[in-house]
Formats: sequence, structure tokens, C-alpha cells
Amino acid sequence: MTAPADRVDRAGLLPRPVNDEVVRITELSKTFHKRHLTALEGVSLTLRHGTFTSVIGPSGCGKSTLLKIMAGLIPATSGEILLQGMPVTGPRQDIGIMFQQPTLLPWRTSIQNVLLPIEIRSGAAAAEAKAEDALQLLELVGLEGFDRVHPHELSGGMAQRVAICRMLITGPAILLLDEPFGALDELTREYMNVELQRICRERDATTFMVTHAIPEAVFLADRVLVMSARPGRIAEVVEVDLPRPRSLDMMTTPEFGALVRHVRHNLDMGTEAGGQP
Amino acid sequence: MTQATKNRVAPAQMSDAETLWYSGKWIDRVPQPISIVVLGAAMLGLWWLIAEMEFVSRILLPGPAETFGELWDTGKNIVSGGHLAVGLWITTREVLLGFLFAAVSGFVLGVVVGETLLGQRAVMPYLVALNALPKVAFAPVFVAWFGFGVNSKIVMAMFIAFFPVIVDTAAGLHAVDRDTLMLFQSMESNRWQTLRKLKLPSALPFIFAGLKTAAVFSVVGAVVGEYLGGGKGLGDAIRLSAQTLRIDRVFALIVYLGILGLLLFGAVAWAEKKLLFWHKSEIFEIQGTG
Repeated sequence: MTAPADRVDRAGLLPRPVNDEVVRITELSKTFHKRHLTALEGVSLTLRHGTFTSVIGPSGCGKSTLLKIMAGLIPATSGEILLQGMPVTGPRQDIGIMFQQPTLLPWRTSIQNVLLPIEIRSGAAAAEAKAEDALQLLELVGLEGFDRVHPHELSGGMAQRVAICRMLITGPAILLLDEPFGALDELTREYMNVELQRICRERDATTFMVTHAIPEAVFLADRVLVMSARPGRIAEVVEVDLPRPRSLDMMTTPEFGALVRHVRHNLDMGTEAGGQP
Repeated sequence: MTQATKNRVAPAQMSDAETLWYSGKWIDRVPQPISIVVLGAAMLGLWWLIAEMEFVSRILLPGPAETFGELWDTGKNIVSGGHLAVGLWITTREVLLGFLFAAVSGFVLGVVVGETLLGQRAVMPYLVALNALPKVAFAPVFVAWFGFGVNSKIVMAMFIAFFPVIVDTAAGLHAVDRDTLMLFQSMESNRWQTLRKLKLPSALPFIFAGLKTAAVFSVVGAVVGEYLGGGKGLGDAIRLSAQTLRIDRVFALIVYLGILGLLLFGAVAWAEKKLLFWHKSEIFEIQGTG
């Protein structure tokens, strides 16, 4: 294994070929004027097609704010986000998003929940036409036969799988995950991580995931962005060159352990998240 | 609390009976139907005792026997289509129409208050102020405006019943999950879609809580209207019975009004159960106390 320092690269200074670039963020800053809070300062990064990027950092480092700006849910104060070459100025169909909670509508069946984005954007008839796609997605996440089940009959992990399908139904260019499995128990969470890796590989998805679990960040990612707080900025970029597909057994290897230690070392130790595994 | 906990963690030195007694569990183990019957019987016995000992005049406090007899007689009068049947029908109509108007107007105003900033900032303060007034005091006003007939009672029922619907509807619209709201934002959902597909369905448990309160309140409103504004409903029958010191009849009529309120409440609760299949029943029951 090479020295961890070789994996470290300053954010935004990554010389990348432009052609497979899905997202380019340049000098992004966000200030909440009412609270006199600089949530993000000078964040630059690129996301290449088919890569998985984890973002980790202490509470208040602005990682969720960054994700929401990328989703077009809140505006940036300065800087630019290009998604597929087009500036993100608001929510877009080519952005898929998922939260810590499944946020399924309890009065709708699984398939109705999956089809919701289509129904909202293009109407019930368009959603109906996509029903076959929705069934295939449910099959992809291992929920075959659960299409007519209501969320209260699903476990937490199953509900998050339906949320994954709902995110994928519009065929987004970028997947934004905000601590997607943070509310699940540890065993389910590990299993869902393996599942997420498989789904992302099968779909060749470009994924950006916010988390505060270091092993999870390393396990899933090609690159881990380590953020620091006040002001929120990218402190380190750690490349994860572990072979894929990765199994849970791999988490016991010295290489994995070294990467986890390296990420933890780079986290601001003075804050709560820094001390957690 | 600490004493009870201490006893519960150190049961070894105690006999089984002592453990049961100290942890209070034996009373919790009694099946609910039995505890309901036992408590009811105890209250009836107390009532009988007080009436029998004549702490107060028999005329002012009839015993259970007289009251049940009167309940039977009034029941016969109602079933055979006597004047009480007419009164019950009048009151039922007032209650139902008052409830219906309260439900519709309360829902519409609740959506205005819950959905619009103007409603929240300008309308709500007036509603809060109006709600703080003793609404019963408006009964003479409604009688003056709408006459001694059923109309003034319907308005009174509606007036008392629609506040909980407004407040609960608005609260329900505000209680929508923030992440789900963000999800709808990310799907570029317009305001109408968000209201129809997210906010209103998730507000339904709140709205039903308001409707259940309104069901009970509309009976109160109609009867108060009848007390103060005449008419031929059961409220007026109660007033006349009280004036002629037929307290047993007052009790009997109150029971029938209670059944009317319970039936309306039950109908709303039933509709809620049918419609909100996803909703947890425990919340259903807690809110059902309204």
C-alpha cells in the first residue's frame, strides 16, 4: 500500500479530462446572512461519470448544505455548479435525491411511490406508461412482488430501497444521497451499502453521498471528500483505490483499515463527529 | 417513582402477592371490559346510595331506578313517534347540518390559514381572538338574526363546532414532514400538486381529530341554541322538564342527546378508520378523546 499522502489531493485542483465530467463545481460559497454564518467557502470539485464520491465531515461543516445546493433546492451565494454542462439554478429532472428517511407517502403503494416523480412532472398518464420501468427497478433492488404493498408493511431497509427506485425512475445523471442509511440498524446498513454498490455499478451511476460514518464513506467511494467546519470547505480528498466489487469482508483488511484511519486523522478532531467511527 | 422502581427491581425478598401489590400490576391485569363494568356498577351504586339516603331531595336527584324507568318511557315515546321523536328529529337535523357546515367552512378556512401567509398572519389572529370569546354568549345574537326556528340553532352549532376544524386543518398542513416537502420541491411540484398529493393527505389525521371534536361540539351548540332560543328540539324539552322539576326526564333526554353525539362521533371515527388505513391506531385513539 502506498503512503496515504499520495492519495491526498487538494480539492478543486484536480486536473481531469473534461469529457466524462458530470458535475463541475467552482468556487461555491454559501452564506446565511440572517445567521451571519458562512456555511460553505470556496468549494470546488468535479464528479466524473460512474464514480462514487463520499462526503464526510463534522456536524455543521455544510455537507448537507452542499448537497442541497447541488440539488437546486437552495441557491448558492456565489460560485457555479454545472450539471452536464448546464448551470443548476433549481430542481431538475436529471437530479436524483434521497434522504435519511425514506419519505414515502404512506397512502401510496410501493409502485405508486416510485412513479410519483413522473406523475408530478408529466401527469398520471405518463406515470402509468412508466409502470413497467418501475417494476423493473423494484426487481433491481430486490423488491419483486412488493409493488402493491404500502410503506407501513415494509421494513426500514425495504422502504429505503423503494426510495432508491423513486430516485432512479427519472433516469437522473447524478444521485445525491443525504445520509441514506443513517436511520437503519447497523446490520441492515451494511447490507444496504453492498446493495447500493451493486445498484450503482449496474446503473453506471454517478453518486454523491453525504455521510458521517467513516467506514461507510470509504467502503462505497472512489473518492472521499473530507470537509472541515466554520467555514465549511473541502480539507482533503482521499482516493480509495480498493478493487471492486467490494465485499463486507474487505472491511477487515489492513488496506481498508489504513484508509479509515487516514480519513479519521484528517477529520477535525475537536468536533463530535471526529471521534466517532 | 423511585420507590416503585426500587420495589420492582428487588422482588426476591417479597412474596408473589406483595410483588403484585407493590408493582400495581394486579389492577392492570383486569381485562378492560370487566374494569369498565365494575367501575360503572360502582358509580351506579354510589348514585343509588346518595339518592336513597336523600342527602338531597328525591325530586332534585332521582335515583337510578326512576331514571331508567323514565329512560324507558321517553324511549317508548320516541319509538312510537311521539312529541319527543319530533324533538329528537329536529335536534338531529340541527346537529347534522351544523356539523356539516362547520366541517366544510372549517376545512376551507383551515386550508386558507394553513396554506397562505396572509391567512396565517392576518386571519389566524382574528380566529384566535374569536375562539377565546365565550361562544355560547352569541346564542341570543343568532336568535335575533335567524329567528326562533331551526336556523339559529344550526348557526350556533356550526359556530361552536368549526373552530377545532380550522385549527386542526391548519396545524395538519403545517405538520407535513420537511424532508418529504423537500422531495416534492426536488420533483418541481407546483403548489397545488403539493397541497393535493402531500399536504392534505398527511393532514387527514389532524382534520379527523378536528371533525371528531366538531361532532361533539355541534351537539353542544344545537342544545345551547335550543335552551336560549326556543324551538321544539330536545334542548327545549330539557329546559321545560327542568322547570317543572322533572329531573328524571332531564337525565333521560341527556342520555339520548349523548347517544346522538356518540353516533355522530362514531360515524366520523369509522370514516377515519376506513380512510386512514396507514395511520397508527394508537394516535387514532389518543386524538379520539377530543
